Amino acid sequence: MRLGRVFDDRTRRAVTSEVYRRSRDVRGGVFRVLLQIALLVALLVLAILLVDTVTDGWSILSGRLGDFLSGGLRSQSGDPELGVFQGIRGSLWIAVFVIVLAFPLGIGAAIYLEEYAPKSRLTSFIDLNIRNLAGVPSVVYGLLGLAIFVRGLEGLTGGQSVTAAGITLAVLVLPIVIITSSEAIRAVPQSLREAGYGAGATKWEVIRTQILPYAAPGILTGTLLSLSRAIGEAAPLILVGAVTGFLGGQSGLVDISQLQERFTALPIIITEWVQESGRDRGFAPAAAAAIVVMLVVVLLLNSAAIFLRNHFEKKR
Amino acid sequence: MATTCKRWRWLGAILCALSLLAAACGGSPGGGSAFGLTERPESSRDPGESAATAKPTAGEDAARALSDVSGSVTISGSSTVEPISVRVAELFRDVAPNVSVTVDGPGTGDGFKLFCAGETDISDASRQIKEAEAEACAEAGIEWIELRVGIDGIAVLTNLENVAVDCLSFEDLYAIVGPESVGFTNWRDAGALAADLGSSTSFPDLALDITAPGAESGTYDSFIEIVLEHIGETRAEAGAISEDESATTRPDYVSAGDDNVIIQGIGGARGSFGWVGFAFTGDADVKLLAVDGGEGCVAATPATIAGGEYPVARSLYVYVNAARAADAAVSAYVDFYMSETGLRQAVSDVGYVVLTDDAQAVTVTNWHRRRIGG
Repeated sequence: MRLGRVFDDRTRRAVTSEVYRRSRDVRGGVFRVLLQIALLVALLVLAILLVDTVTDGWSILSGRLGDFLSGGLRSQSGDPELGVFQGIRGSLWIAVFVIVLAFPLGIGAAIYLEEYAPKSRLTSFIDLNIRNLAGVPSVVYGLLGLAIFVRGLEGLTGGQSVTAAGITLAVLVLPIVIITSSEAIRAVPQSLREAGYGAGATKWEVIRTQILPYAAPGILTGTLLSLSRAIGEAAPLILVGAVTGFLGGQSGLVDISQLQERFTALPIIITEWVQESGRDRGFAPAAAAAIVVMLVVVLLLNSAAIFLRNHFEKKR
Repeated sequence: MATTCKRWRWLGAILCALSLLAAACGGSPGGGSAFGLTERPESSRDPGESAATAKPTAGEDAARALSDVSGSVTISGSSTVEPISVRVAELFRDVAPNVSVTVDGPGTGDGFKLFCAGETDISDASRQIKEAEAEACAEAGIEWIELRVGIDGIAVLTNLENVAVDCLSFEDLYAIVGPESVGFTNWRDAGALAADLGSSTSFPDLALDITAPGAESGTYDSFIEIVLEHIGETRAEAGAISEDESATTRPDYVSAGDDNVIIQGIGGARGSFGWVGFAFTGDADVKLLAVDGGEGCVAATPATIAGGEYPVARSLYVYVNAARAADAAVSAYVDFYMSETGLRQAVSDVGYVVLTDDAQAVTVTNWHRRRIGG
């Protein structure tokens, strides 16, 4: 009886405070404000960074964008041929290598781990290792690339080439692709699988017609975020031998015969120009403009990811 | 690929959308058949090329011969010398468009490692080759030709109104910005330390405002190497500072990556102090201090820097692999480097001090005779 009264009082209090909107939940309110501040700070930093970069690079972005997009590495910031074409070319080929190598391998490994592999100690050990690999500093992957893809497999990659760089970065993002794909597959409701089996489908049919379509949006988001990461990496490329000074004899964007030649990439160009700006201050706006170009490339990738994800979410 | 594209349309869609390459969708980028091809299609989108071929010059025959040369030149080494080699490569491409030159700048030491492993044809260096590096080269059977190409001079600056100071010795410079000067806010403070170090320069009673390059700058490294390091090591041996501090500056000054900011800083305060690459002083309203490197005060002028009298300067070199010097592309590139366009135009274009005529002649002769060793 007594217990019932207390319970009633509490309930009544909670209901009245909710109804009359009396903010008696002080701690909750404070927490909410803190969260809003955290969000605001994050957004503010991003906004300042964006505005600052675009302002710094504006003279180039507004003045000679066409030349800038088609130019290359030069010694003087005033050179009309100074530009990021060679970097865009390198970064795009790296993206192609990541898409062709890391995506099928990573998604395949994830499907195996989630759907086929027995839940044994070995599997969980492998799983743990993949998670650890995702946290290994990118420089370490650069060393791996230098030892294996530049030196060891020189006959295949041509040494310090965009091929070696692409394979290195594909290996770098492979664990991330596996983890995100695994999570997406794990999120597929068990009932879908059971319904499939119940209807007499084979394992392969269930994976192909139920699990993959359902997990596709999640897999896509993860893989494309890992692609953005691969495009933004500079440290492994320095070790693999990206060129900072001058790159002669380069040609078109899709010229496959150049895959074994020396290369450079957008993050490398940005690093180099920031350093050069000490000698020739005109490189500072060039670096800022190159950052904007890289941001646009990454944003294009991310919006492609969002577009595709929405597309598949509608389908499912 | 067609049936695959239907079933895995979404994967195909990513391929198309992301690579932004029409070819990536239908074909096989990175396909095995493509490897091993070395043909180098002409870079038709290069405006500089047509300009060069259209230009009638006195040495038209030589130019025509150069345009027939093909091959590749790989250069690595000092990031300080890198801009010169890049500038030469840019100008060289206009006359020899079929030679593919690659220039990289990981640093002098890393450059020599690659060079002595036979991985590069030419090594840029902001100092002479060290004995250990020369031994590594000798062990690998690599002989080199040392060519001095330019000079990197550093101007030591103060405000035009700071009439009390005209010339500083290395000890004075150490007392102003060395690791032991932390907290000095007046020239007098530095004067006391300088006197301890054996300097007789008289310092004014003026607020000391330092604006100088930060640690990310090559000029910062050069200044330490040339001026501070030697005294710092002696002081570390004497126990005045720790070993780690011997090759550093005081951390408490305004550091700027932009030379123009430094020059503005120097112009902004009466008791200012700083240093920049000599090429950046141009016609700036600052006072260039003379420096005493042990043989009397020498003012910084192109002549004293080129002549080697001004002490805060260092020579810049390229090292050519002697065996590779026989290669048509490499020898054409170095020939071009040794011309007026290389040693004069390229060096001054990127802001370094051009060698004296005599020194240039020595460099050119060393190259023409393929003089092995330093």
